[in-house]
Amino acid sequence: MPCERKPMRYGHSEGHTDVCFDDKGKCIVTCGSDGDVRIWESLDDDDPKSINVGEKVYSVALKNGKLVTAVSNNTVQIHTFPEGDPDGILTRFTTNANHVTFNSSGSRVAAGSSDFIVKIVEVVDSSQQKTLRGHDAPVLSVALDTSDEFLASSSCDGSVTVWSIESQTQVAQWKILQKSSDVSNAKSLCRLAWQPHSGKLLAVPVDLTVQLYDRNTWTHVSTLCDDLITQVVNVVVWSPCGKFLAAGTVGGNLLIWDVEAKLCIERQKHEKGFTVCGMAWHPSGGRIAYTDTEGCLGLLEGVSSSSPPSSSTVQSTKATAAKEKNDYDDLFDEDDDRMLDEGMSDSRSPVKKPIMEEDDDDDDLMPATGKPRNRGSFLDDDDNSQDPGSVKLDGVPEEDGSSAILPAVGPAVSRPVYEGPMPTQPQRAFQAGSTPVHLMHRFMVWNSVGIVRGYNDDQDNAIDVEFHDTAIHHAMHLTNTLGHTMADLSQEAVLLACEGTDELASKIQCLHFSCWDTHKDWIVDLPKGEDVCALCLGQGWAAVATSALMVRLFSIGGVQKEIFSLPGAVVCMAGHGEQLLIMYHRGTGFDGDQALGVQLLQLGSKRRQVIHGEPLPLSRKSYLAWMGFTAEGTPCCIDSEGVVRMLNRTVGNTWTPVCNTRDSCKSKSDHYWVVGVHENPQQLRCIPCKGSRFPPTLPRPAVAVLPFNLPYCQTTTEKGQMEEQYWRSMLFHNHYSFLSSSGYEIDSEGQSQAEKEQQELLMKMFALSCKLEREFRCVELAEMMTHSVVTLAIRYASRSRLFKDKEMDVIKQGMGRFRTLSAEERLNWTERAKGDSDPKKRKREDEGQAIMERSKQKQMNQNENEADSAINGKFDGRVKIPGWSAGGAAGTPSTAPSSSVMESWREERTRSLEDNEMSLPSIAAAYTTILRGLGEDPQRQGLLKTPWRAATAMQFFTKGYQEKIIELCLCVTVSREVRVNPFKVSGAGKPSSSSAGQPRTTSVLDSMTMSSRKPTPLGGTSKQGKAPVLKPLAPKPKSKTQATLLQMSASKGNSKKLVDSQTEAEKVKAAPAATPPASVENIENRKPKTGFQLWLEDNRKSILADNPDFEEMDVIKQGMGRFRTLSAEERLNWTERAKGDSDPKKRKREDEGQVNDQMESDEGSAKKKKPLDTSAKLSAFAFNKE
Amino acid sequence: MDPAEVEFLAEKEMVKIIPNFSLDKIYLIGGDLGPFNPGLPVEVPVWLALNLKQRQKCRIVPPEWMDTDKLEEIREQERKLDTFTPIPSPYYMELAKLLLNHSADNIPKADEIRTLVKDIWDTRVAKLRLSADSFISQQEAHAQLDNLTLMEINTTRSFLLDSLNYMYKLRSNLQPGRSQDY
Repeated sequence: MPCERKPMRYGHSEGHTDVCFDDKGKCIVTCGSDGDVRIWESLDDDDPKSINVGEKVYSVALKNGKLVTAVSNNTVQIHTFPEGDPDGILTRFTTNANHVTFNSSGSRVAAGSSDFIVKIVEVVDSSQQKTLRGHDAPVLSVALDTSDEFLASSSCDGSVTVWSIESQTQVAQWKILQKSSDVSNAKSLCRLAWQPHSGKLLAVPVDLTVQLYDRNTWTHVSTLCDDLITQVVNVVVWSPCGKFLAAGTVGGNLLIWDVEAKLCIERQKHEKGFTVCGMAWHPSGGRIAYTDTEGCLGLLEGVSSSSPPSSSTVQSTKATAAKEKNDYDDLFDEDDDRMLDEGMSDSRSPVKKPIMEEDDDDDDLMPATGKPRNRGSFLDDDDNSQDPGSVKLDGVPEEDGSSAILPAVGPAVSRPVYEGPMPTQPQRAFQAGSTPVHLMHRFMVWNSVGIVRGYNDDQDNAIDVEFHDTAIHHAMHLTNTLGHTMADLSQEAVLLACEGTDELASKIQCLHFSCWDTHKDWIVDLPKGEDVCALCLGQGWAAVATSALMVRLFSIGGVQKEIFSLPGAVVCMAGHGEQLLIMYHRGTGFDGDQALGVQLLQLGSKRRQVIHGEPLPLSRKSYLAWMGFTAEGTPCCIDSEGVVRMLNRTVGNTWTPVCNTRDSCKSKSDHYWVVGVHENPQQLRCIPCKGSRFPPTLPRPAVAVLPFNLPYCQTTTEKGQMEEQYWRSMLFHNHYSFLSSSGYEIDSEGQSQAEKEQQELLMKMFALSCKLEREFRCVELAEMMTHSVVTLAIRYASRSRLFKDKEMDVIKQGMGRFRTLSAEERLNWTERAKGDSDPKKRKREDEGQAIMERSKQKQMNQNENEADSAINGKFDGRVKIPGWSAGGAAGTPSTAPSSSVMESWREERTRSLEDNEMSLPSIAAAYTTILRGLGEDPQRQGLLKTPWRAATAMQFFTKGYQEKIIELCLCVTVSREVRVNPFKVSGAGKPSSSSAGQPRTTSVLDSMTMSSRKPTPLGGTSKQGKAPVLKPLAPKPKSKTQATLLQMSASKGNSKKLVDSQTEAEKVKAAPAATPPASVENIENRKPKTGFQLWLEDNRKSILADNPDFEEMDVIKQGMGRFRTLSAEERLNWTERAKGDSDPKKRKREDEGQVNDQMESDEGSAKKKKPLDTSAKLSAFAFNKE
Repeated sequence: MDPAEVEFLAEKEMVKIIPNFSLDKIYLIGGDLGPFNPGLPVEVPVWLALNLKQRQKCRIVPPEWMDTDKLEEIREQERKLDTFTPIPSPYYMELAKLLLNHSADNIPKADEIRTLVKDIWDTRVAKLRLSADSFISQQEAHAQLDNLTLMEINTTRSFLLDSLNYMYKLRSNLQPGRSQDY
């Protein structure tokens, strides 16, 4: 069957319905017993325009923009079409009219009523009526002939009568129908129809047949019948050409006859077998719309093209051609109301019909791939046999499903048809968060501030403003006398606007409720002919885009400010703070795509354009559904495919998809109607709409919150999830930098939390990569981390490496093995080494560290291979260092932080500690001079230590000059401990320092030495004779972790062991004495103060004896000079003495260090047993340290 | 336990409200509530919801089961079966009473719901009485009743226990040799 029956769709509530097409055939108009007239764009129209005309509608007729309906209040009304405004009452009966119909010119309307009367009324002047009396029962149907001479009517009295309109007399009457008492009891509606054009025949449905009567002789000419008809024929309609006749029966059969040939050419059955009570033939003849008594609407497509070739080839092609033309008319007919609006559904777009398959809601890719393929095969098969005309034909009429036939039927017919990409109708301007304008109850705007509802029904034309937060303002109720259709709402004001009419200009009304004077609103008229298209409110300003492609800015109080032109018609606008976001038509989109441009302007004090009309990315074949700012001020847009995109300011104002609301929808027709986007917390606030794109006003819809979900790959895996989370977190915390840069206060706590979250995720990813032994990836991740987290990562890596490759810690293989390791592994090992407390090895480690630094640097150069070889070279060089290859570089791993790294790089790259120490007195002396210059007495009790302190501070402040970032990265642990404020007096040290006034010049160095657990015995050296104030170290992260991770009892249980380990430590300390001077220097670096000070104390007298007039500073200077001249051995001795001097308190601290050591190694063994795979746990532990 | 106490327990049930004010998280002994964002649904205990409602600080979103269709279904089920059907909320009666009394304006078809809940309640209590009756008349030692709510148990507990006590006394009086105490 060439004729395609489309699936029925629900149109009205159950009951009698009627249907007709408009003059051009663009819309289907139906009426039903629910009292509504609906105007359908197409059968797939999800949102037909509804006009309520009464309680019940019995019949509808449409011509010349006049919609005539027979309504249950016994009137025949006119409404304008397509607006649907009431246009008066045409005529009245004593009961309801059953059928109304136009004459062919549309000048008259005939109506037949249940009060037995038929009336003929002039449309323009309803006082000119002709009444036809003569029926003895309700009139079922009326029909005016083409020449306006006769009227045919059928009645429940069983007669079909032809009247002469002029004389109002009966011309002919046939008693051919079954009698009944009322319309409701009548077997058939008995809709009559005159043949169009010639008007020669009158078709009358009589029982199971359709009888044709001749107009001239009033005789029965022929009978059309078919075997399929089992029940009474209800409706007959002629095709516009007058060659075909269609009939619908009570049993749901649809038949089409070729009248001349008396041939039934089409037989269709209603899908559910309901009674067909309304039928209409499309003006072009290609399709038939029909309705049933259950309120459903159906469509037969491709009707006339299926007729037998003999009689109708020409006709059919003509029909399709006409239709084709029609479609193109639609396409470019911008004045028509069929612009895309908010409620537009995909299938309603008239453009899509020619392009896409009929089931276009399914798969957008299908038509795109299908079409070229078809053509390709066509060309392949018939390359030579077909002429170009027919080839062209193939691509053309896909819309009515007859493409398969046309080439076969008429290859000779060739029409020039454009078959490239089709321009998309530009989408209409809309307000974000509003429902379609034509609804009687609608949301004018729903945003994060509140809701503005518009009511426009019989009783009321009003606007309700309601605030989510009643603290802003109480709810408002306004009468909408101006007919506002657009609204925006902010914390300060409500902005309303209406389009202009013929008499009235377009108006903007602002209710500035936060205004402190008594005039709380203002109204502005736009120039004549300029209409408001979109509007928005910002902080202290309002913006309006008009049909003159202009944007007008107003202050919130009503002062006109800048105006500027837009490059295209506006689509939507949004404001937030000082930002104004405008979306407009950048050009013509093709194949269903919209071509939108974005402008983002910064108003306020620093005015500038942030986005200069760049194209807005939208999904394929979609249009903009919502746009605005997040609560934090990041532009955001949502297209009709449900994809939420957010501006990414860090990547040059690109748009990142952050969510697809369609993923959360249960069924295909469900949608989410977005009302707000929040970045912190990450919330997409929207209203779930079952089976529609927008919610009704009642019952009050509930807001749901959707999570964001960046479309990253493999989000089912742990890695993908964490990557998605990380980048989502990054994206959603961009607003902090934006806000702070534009001078807003930011929630620093939230920001640091966000950073912590990001670093935590990085750490997790790092742990995961470690587990997978993806070392390169580890380094890549480490590059994204902040300094402090890098150290954690390094520590984690070293530990996990240690546990995993247990055999590796047997470094008996030594250097050879080490050399083959990757840089990262070496890094790990070196880091481990850093934790090693054994001073004997420290020197070597330092060297390893130095090497490590270089390798790391190279790695940063992204040149791994090269770097590797370079590193190896370095290592080769270093191997020759005595003692290195003996290498217990990683003996028992003890992770107490040490300053070895620090020392090494200091030694190599920066001012050495020794230098520091040596130059300290001279700096201090300089400060003394300054003090004296200021008139102070440097020997005064309160100022005694000031020069030293200042000198230390100065050194501390300037010590970074030689440092490099890379070094810092590697040494964060150390530097974190080192960079304590030298002025800060720690709690423990306070009493002694305040009482004794001991120069606290050593704090920096103290902490250094402390970190290596070698307490500095300063006591007794200085004049004050008090124990030096040692800065208690910041808690050692590692030992702390051990305490949390491991049994605390280890330290307690091992108290006895401590003695041993302590003695061991003593031994170890003695060991350096044997090492070459270089290493002695090294030790001196760590505890330079002590040795020198002891020595100075002893030798002060001799210096003073030599130079009795020396001041304290000079004494020190002199002492320094002399100390330098001492041999290494001697200096060492002093150092040892200093060590031995340490007081019991410090000893204890050392013990603690030792305990930590112990625990560390204990932990080492404990860890070995622990499974490592819970990366989350581990990263959690890493962060606990913080 | 008297009904007021049961109601008190029911007030701990969570219900969704849409606040019209803004407030950070509040930290209570029973747990943290909030944050409250105007226009955004948030779960709070019934007692707080009612308090806020009375001060016109929020709209209450009725629980999912408080819907005529669902309740009708339950009622039919309840009438059909001899045993007790599972009820969507263990405090359906109390919640229905509280919410319908205090925020009927936020509940669509409040009157219908009131009737339905009452119907369900009546059906269930009738069943309960019936089973108590048969329990006593058949002199059973124990009986099992599933899916009873606290309120329902409470309505019958004191009566049932007291009457069983009296019956016991009466029975023991009937037996000869035990009556010497009186």
